Parts: sequence; C-alpha cells; structure tokens
Amino acid sequence: MSTNTIRTRPVVSAGSRSRARDGFSVLRSSSKWIFLGIGVAAALIPFIWMLSGSFRSEADLFKNPASLFPTSITLHGYTGIWQQLPFLRLLANSFIFAGVTTAATLLFDSMCAYALSRLHFRGRTVAFWLVLATLMVPFQVTLIPVFIELFHLGWLNTYQGLIIPRATSAFGIFLFRQFFMSIPVELDEAARIDGASHWRIYWQVILPLSKPAIATVAILNFMNLWNDLLWPLVVTTSPNMLTLPAALTLFGGQHITDHAILLAGATISLLPIAIGFFFAQKYFVAGVATTGLK
Amino acid sequence: MTVSNPVGVRTARTPTPSGDASTRRPRRRWQPAVLFMVPSFLILGTFVIYPIVQSLLFSFENVTIGGPTTWIGFDNYVTLFKDSQFWNALVVTLEFTVASVAILVIVGFILALLLQGEGIVTRVVRSIFFFPTIVSLVTIGLVWKFLLDPNIGFVGGISDLLGLPPVAWLTSTSLALPTVVFVNIWKNLGFAMILLLAGLKGVPQERYEAARIDGARTLQIVRYITLPGIRPTMLFTTLILTIQTLQVFDLVFVMTGGGPLFTTDTLVNLLYRDAFVNYQTGYASAISFVLFVIIVVISALQLRFFRYNDVD
Amino acid sequence: MNKRKLVAVIAVVGAAALALSACSSGTTPTKSAGKVTLTMWTGFTGGDRPGYAQIVKDFNASHPDIKVVQTVESWDTIEQKLPTAWLTGSGPDIAAPSSDPNVIANYVKTNSVLPIVTGSGTSKVNSAQLAPAAVKELTYNGKLYAIPANFASLSLYYNKKMFAAAGIANPPKTVAEFEADAKKLTLNNGQTQYGLSLADNQTIQMWPILQWLTGGDIVNSKGCSVLSSSASQAGLQTWADLVQNDHISPVGQTGAQADSLFQAGKAAMELNGPWAAPTYKAAGVDFGIATVPLASNGSKVTLGSIAPLAISAKTKYPAQAQEFLAYYTSKAQQEKFSLTTGFPPLRTDMGDDAKLKADPTVQVFNSQVPDARLYLPQLTNATEVDANGYVPLIGEITRGTSVATATAATTTTINGLTGCTK
Repeated sequence: MSTNTIRTRPVVSAGSRSRARDGFSVLRSSSKWIFLGIGVAAALIPFIWMLSGSFRSEADLFKNPASLFPTSITLHGYTGIWQQLPFLRLLANSFIFAGVTTAATLLFDSMCAYALSRLHFRGRTVAFWLVLATLMVPFQVTLIPVFIELFHLGWLNTYQGLIIPRATSAFGIFLFRQFFMSIPVELDEAARIDGASHWRIYWQVILPLSKPAIATVAILNFMNLWNDLLWPLVVTTSPNMLTLPAALTLFGGQHITDHAILLAGATISLLPIAIGFFFAQKYFVAGVATTGLK
Repeated sequence: MTVSNPVGVRTARTPTPSGDASTRRPRRRWQPAVLFMVPSFLILGTFVIYPIVQSLLFSFENVTIGGPTTWIGFDNYVTLFKDSQFWNALVVTLEFTVASVAILVIVGFILALLLQGEGIVTRVVRSIFFFPTIVSLVTIGLVWKFLLDPNIGFVGGISDLLGLPPVAWLTSTSLALPTVVFVNIWKNLGFAMILLLAGLKGVPQERYEAARIDGARTLQIVRYITLPGIRPTMLFTTLILTIQTLQVFDLVFVMTGGGPLFTTDTLVNLLYRDAFVNYQTGYASAISFVLFVIIVVISALQLRFFRYNDVD
Repeated sequence: MNKRKLVAVIAVVGAAALALSACSSGTTPTKSAGKVTLTMWTGFTGGDRPGYAQIVKDFNASHPDIKVVQTVESWDTIEQKLPTAWLTGSGPDIAAPSSDPNVIANYVKTNSVLPIVTGSGTSKVNSAQLAPAAVKELTYNGKLYAIPANFASLSLYYNKKMFAAAGIANPPKTVAEFEADAKKLTLNNGQTQYGLSLADNQTIQMWPILQWLTGGDIVNSKGCSVLSSSASQAGLQTWADLVQNDHISPVGQTGAQADSLFQAGKAAMELNGPWAAPTYKAAGVDFGIATVPLASNGSKVTLGSIAPLAISAKTKYPAQAQEFLAYYTSKAQQEKFSLTTGFPPLRTDMGDDAKLKADPTVQVFNSQVPDARLYLPQLTNATEVDANGYVPLIGEITRGTSVATATAATTTTINGLTGCTK
C-alpha cells in the first residue's frame, strides 16, 4: 500500500528526531505528523484513485467501489482516446500555446512591473489599479466581445489568436511588482549614476535578481494556461487547433460516461504538468519561498 | 485603433519621440514608463479592458446577439435587485467565499508553520500538499464528484464497508455547499500554504531569537512576532484568494451545476446561465458589474483592515 | 540562466511562434477547383457518435464535389460559441446548436438560420415523411428551420437478474404494476438496491412520463401551467411518496448519475433512450428493454427527445447544405443510422423495413415513436421554465415540500415566464 508507506514514514522520522526531547514534545511532534499524515493521504487518494480508475473496467469499478486498485488491468481507456483524437498534434498545440504564451508573459509582465515599481510618473497608481481591476471581472463577461474582436482581426483558429490576447497577465504584473519593490533602490541608483539606461537597469540589474519571481510566474502561468479549457475552446473550432485538455472534455457527455476513458483523459492531461512539477518544484517552492512577497 | 484607451490617452497627452526616451533627463520619466508598459497595456486594453467597457454598455441594453439591441437604462439593474435568484446567488457566493478564505488562510498558516523546515521529509510533504494546486478545477471537480457518489464512488464504498448509510454529499440541500467548499479548500490549500511560507521566510530570524531569550512561549512568539511579521503576505494571500473565490465557477459547474435547488448557485454560475443558456446578455452583464463592485468594495475593506500603505 | 541564453531562448520562441502562425494561416482550407467544403458543428459525444460520422462519410464518398467536415464538441461549448459565430459569419455552415430543440426559436428570431426547402427529390427534405411531432417543434411561422438530427423515444430498461431474484417474470405492463414493482425491487438489507433510477436535473426529463402515466401534465396548449390540476397533483403525490417514503430512487440525481446507478447494478429499472444500450452492454449488465407501461387510462405514452440540425443564414453554399440534409433524412441513411445506434429512424414510412424489424432494440424504441410527446414543445422561454420551474418543483416535492405548496409556486413562476394570461 503506497499510501501507507507515505503516511508512516514521517511519523518514524519524527520519532527518531525527537529522541533527545522530553515526553511532551514527543507527543506534540507525533500528533503533528499524524495531522500531516492524514492531510497527505487526503491530498493523494483522489489522484491514486483517478490513476487506478483509468485502468479499470466498468464492471470492476462498480463492483468494488471501496478499492483503490484494479483487480485486472485494462488499457481500454487509453486506446479509446488514442483512436479518437489526433493525440500528438494536440500535445504539440498545448506546448506551443502554454510555452510561447508563458515566455511572452514573463517579458511583458516584468517590463510593465518595472515601470509600476521603479518609474515615477503621473497616473502610476491609476495604472496599477487598472491592472488589478482586470483581475476582478469574470472572464465569462468579456467572452462575447473578445470573440467578435478576434473575428474582425481574423485570428480565430490561429496560434496568434490563441497566444497574443493571453500574452500578459495581471497576476504576473502584480507579483513582479511586489517583488521588484523588495529590491533595494540603491542598486539601480548606482547603475544610473554610471549612466545606464532604464532598459539596461531593467535587463542587467533587476531581472538577474528576480530569478525566484521569474520561476514563480513562469510556473503559475504555464500551469494556468495548460489547464485553461474555455479559452482554447472559444478561439479554436478546428480539431487540429485544440489543446489537449480542451479536447479531452469531449468525453464527458450529458448522459453516458465511459469512466475509464474519462479518467484516462484526466490522467493524460495531468501527466505533463505533473512531470514538469516534479522536476521544477525545487525551483518553484524555493522561488515562492524567497520571493518575500510584500 | 479605437481600442487602446488607457495607453492611447496617455500617449496622446505626451509628445513621444520614441527611441531616445532612455537618454532624457530624469524629469521626464513618464516616457520610458510608457514604453515599458506599452506591450502589456496594449494587450490588456484590447482584450480585457475594452471588452469590459463594451460589456458595461451591454448591461444598460436589451441585447440579442445578432438581433436588435435597445437602450433600456437601469432596467436590468432594477430587475436584478428584485430577482430572488440573484439574492440567493449573492448569499451563496458570500458564504462560499468567507468559509473558503477563512479556512484556507488559517489552515494554510498552520501548515506553513509546521512545514518551515528544509528536511527532505518536510519538502516532500510540502510538495504533496501543493500538488492539487496544479490540477485543473474541471479535473478536480470530476474526480471528486465521482469519489463522493454515495452509490458507486470510493467514499460511498468505504462508508458501505463500515456499515454506514450512504450520504448524499452533493444532492442534499444542506450538504452540497459545504462539500463544494471543502473541495475548493482541498484544491487551494497548498497555494495558500506556499504563499504564507514565503512570508514566514521573510521574518528576520533575530526577532525570534530575541523573543526566545526573553523566554517567550511558542504561542506568544506566533502572536507577537510571526503574525505582525507576515501581515503583508497575509494581505496578499487573502486578497488573491478572495478575488478568485468570489468568481468561483468551474468547480460548481462541474460538481453540482448550481443545484440542488440553487443551494450552490454562485453569481458567476447564474451569470453563465443567463448569458449562454437563456441568451440574456445584457442581464448577465449587469450581474457581472454588481459582482465587480462587490469585489472592489471587499478588496478595499481588506486593504483598510490590514492597514496596507504600500500603494502610493 | 545567463542573459545571453535568455535572449536566445526568447528569440527562438518568438521565431517559432511566427513560423507557426504563418504556417497555420497558410493552411486554412481553400476551395480547390469547384469542390465545396461544408463545416458542421455537433455535440454528439455519446455512444451514438459513430452513427453520425457514418452518414458524413457516406455523403462525402457519394458527392465528389462536396466535402462535409464534422466536428464534435460538448454542448456547453457550442451553446457559448455558436450565437456569436453565426452572427459574425465565422460559424459553421450547418450546426446542431443544442440538445434542446427550443433554442431554434432564438436563432429564428435573430435570422441566423435558413428555412429548409421541403418537398420530394434528392435535394429537398421530405418533411411529410418525418416524425410529425419533430417537424411541428421545428416549424416557426409555417416554415421548417431545422431537421431533427435524431428522434429518440425513452423506453424502460430493466435488470433481468433483479427481476428474477424478486420473482417478477415480466417487466411491468401498466402503471399500477410499475409502481408495485418499483417498491418490490427496492431492497435495503445490507446491499442497497433501488427499484427505479430517476434523474431530475441535467438530464433528459423522466418525470413528465411519470406525470403523463397518471393523467397529469405540465402546461396546456396556451402555455398555462396545469400542475395544480387534481390529476397532476395526484400523480406527483404518488411518485413523490414512492421516492420519499419507499426510497425507490435516490433523490436529486443528474442524468449521468442515474445512468451510472443502473450501470453499476444498483437499480432495477430506468427510463432511458437508445444511446444507453451500448454502454450498459459493455459494462456487463444483464438488461432488457421494454415499452413504457400503459397509463392509468390505458393509453400509451412516452417522452420523445430531438436534437435539431440547422443551416446558417450566412452560409455560402445553401444548396449544398440543403442537399446534405436531404441525404441525411433519406431512407437508406436512416436505416443504416438506426442499425448502428439503436435510435428509431426519423421517417415514419419505414415501419415495414425488415432489417429494422429484426433488431429488437430498434424495434422497441421505434414502436413508441407514434406515442412520444416532447417536453415543453414550442413553449416561450422553455429553457427557463425547465431551470426555474420544473427542476426545482421535482427537487422540492422529493425533499418533503408538500405537493400543493410546490405546484402553486411553480404555477406562478411558469405562467410568468410563458406569458400565460388564462
């Protein structure tokens, strides 16, 4: 039972660590790890269940609902998806959409945040509040006007239509601004005395110091874009332009649900981002943790 | 270009000789500012702000997509304030938000306190708590809906094994909202934890050491050192979570569709139904602007409450 | 990452984006030498999907000058995009706008759909031979604005094993037997088993059938609620009691949940359409399909459901789109479609078709087409009547609100929405 090993490991290590302490602190420490252990189990079980469900037959799933593991393994969910979707094309679209957009966002957001945190000009507060205000309006509201705009631009069903409207994010600007505010102003003043332009200060002083913020915004944006369903569905109509997660929504019909296909779809769309998270989490958690948000 | 209002206004006011902006004297600093902000504001202006303005106009009209559109003044808003479904959705949204944000901030803070260390186990546990954050709400809604099914789901199966009667988590009028709130908390807890952890790292170590030398107990340290030290982060976390949660839609749409009997019908869910099922675009826009005002007011109150003086 | 590397990465990424956008705009479908491409949006994601794909494939093979490209998306997506897409002219030539036929009214109002040329011959839709209820539903101001993409009648699915275990030899023939069997098949001894799996939201409605069986109804021909009539109240009371007191069905299920319950072998009966059969078969359920029991007055009744298929008013190729719909409704195609999907054919002149008669599933559903009634047909604001009237009504009476109170409130709501003035 993989959940059990994960649950017990922290308790054991806590016990060994607190050997030198008194009984009370052992109790406190072990209750801490029990609390965390329950939390870890609650966080993981849905995913274990999802992964195992994608390999289970309907009959098995319904007969043993309390089981986390398949009695026999069927690949029916995965073959079903492979047969019905242009899988590699969708995967490529997803990476292009999320990847290119994230790169553009990093550049534009940090530039905008530089102006909002480092330059003094009339209307700066207004500009900042305008950026914040865009976070406060639900996307569904602008859907119809945006669609009409994209039509007039001829951008429906194109990569630029998918990417450009998303190439800046208010959240990113907000986060970069907060981070830049924490970088001592003396640094760029020194550079300015040396005759550096704003562009050089931004590019050679501020950005190199902002790696944690860059990592955070990059990961959060990539994640949000990857998971976004509504936007790709609105901009694209041809099946060749869809992203993977958006295409996978097709398998949840109004009435009949093939659970294996549904869960296989969920697993596949989660996989790339889970792998990415596995490798990037060191930078990410460190990134957020040192951002020193103010 | 008819669309670039904010930037357009500013550039119009300023004779901008682009290119040599950076070499100008410091008194004219608004020019580089404009250059730095042009990409973001061009995009935000065209694809966010202009559509918002257009939709604000919709809220004063009787809009039929493709048909005749008539100016009706405040009629949509008048109807709205008489609509019992709107008041219900407003209450549901506020309950949803208050419960979610309060629990997220408190439990997230406790988790952050417990998981400050840099040991391998702590780091793994932290990553596991964070994991649900990277998954789309639709996937999460789908999986939880299935898990919680009283007859065929995992939770139902477990309670069956224990000899307990099946619980209708999502179809009972009293349990549906708490259940969706729980899933929302489950999804965002790691996010709140990480943000607050960042704040904890920012509190200078010397203050803790000084307090410990003075013989302060753990709870006293939390009360007098930690909490004041992370006030700005608390604000950021609360603000972001509140803005997000007031607009909750995907999770509700997938898990309950707003039911049973409208007990989980949030404002954005109501707005969605009016805009895309009932084709009342103008009315839906009016709902969104009421929501917008609510978000602005609550954000402003939170800024006051945390005595935020960062914005100059 | 040093800054030179960063610049390089951004440059490469930017170049890639440009190259891709260039190539994507270069490959937009172009009309080659007289060949016409028609796009069609549909929301057929269910088990019946191959049936529609087959019609498109056959059409393309037999019409070398026309190519129909069908896309499948969820109904939610289509409902969000289509009104604007058709308004701007960027939409498809043909589309199934929703699984609810009432939305056609909106598109007629905004002049987004073309009236369909009816008559006989290969380029006209022979509306005289289509199911009359469906044609009536899609006709506005005397003109047909969409064809039914399918016409499904609901039948009674029953679990043979549970019937045998309860000692019931045959599926119920009358509404009295139906009620008795539902009670008898509900077990609560260790293993939960429900007599009937009912859904009341996010579903093709099942409750109207229960009402019709006991002589009740929802609205009359003037759009006025008749829920408060004594027959309606009595019928709703009977079924609400069965759900509340005898627990014959879980409360508040969605369509998908109701299906899963039957599929998991936890419910003995379900009212459902032909699309469910392949999935139940794949899940290994030992089930039979029977006609809906006779109503208390001895008449036959069930619910019919259609998805509309309409032509955009802005299409460049109305004649070709018309030809496709005519082909879609032709005898040969409808026979093939029925055999693939189990749906009854759209036409009423195929009763003697030997192949369809030989297929027991098609036979059951087809035999009920003449008795099938639509849910809220041609009613003003029907989607709101459903969402704000009927769905809450069923939700309330199955959760303990008295039928008299709930129907009175719903009557006010419905009459307000339909503009009924008595």
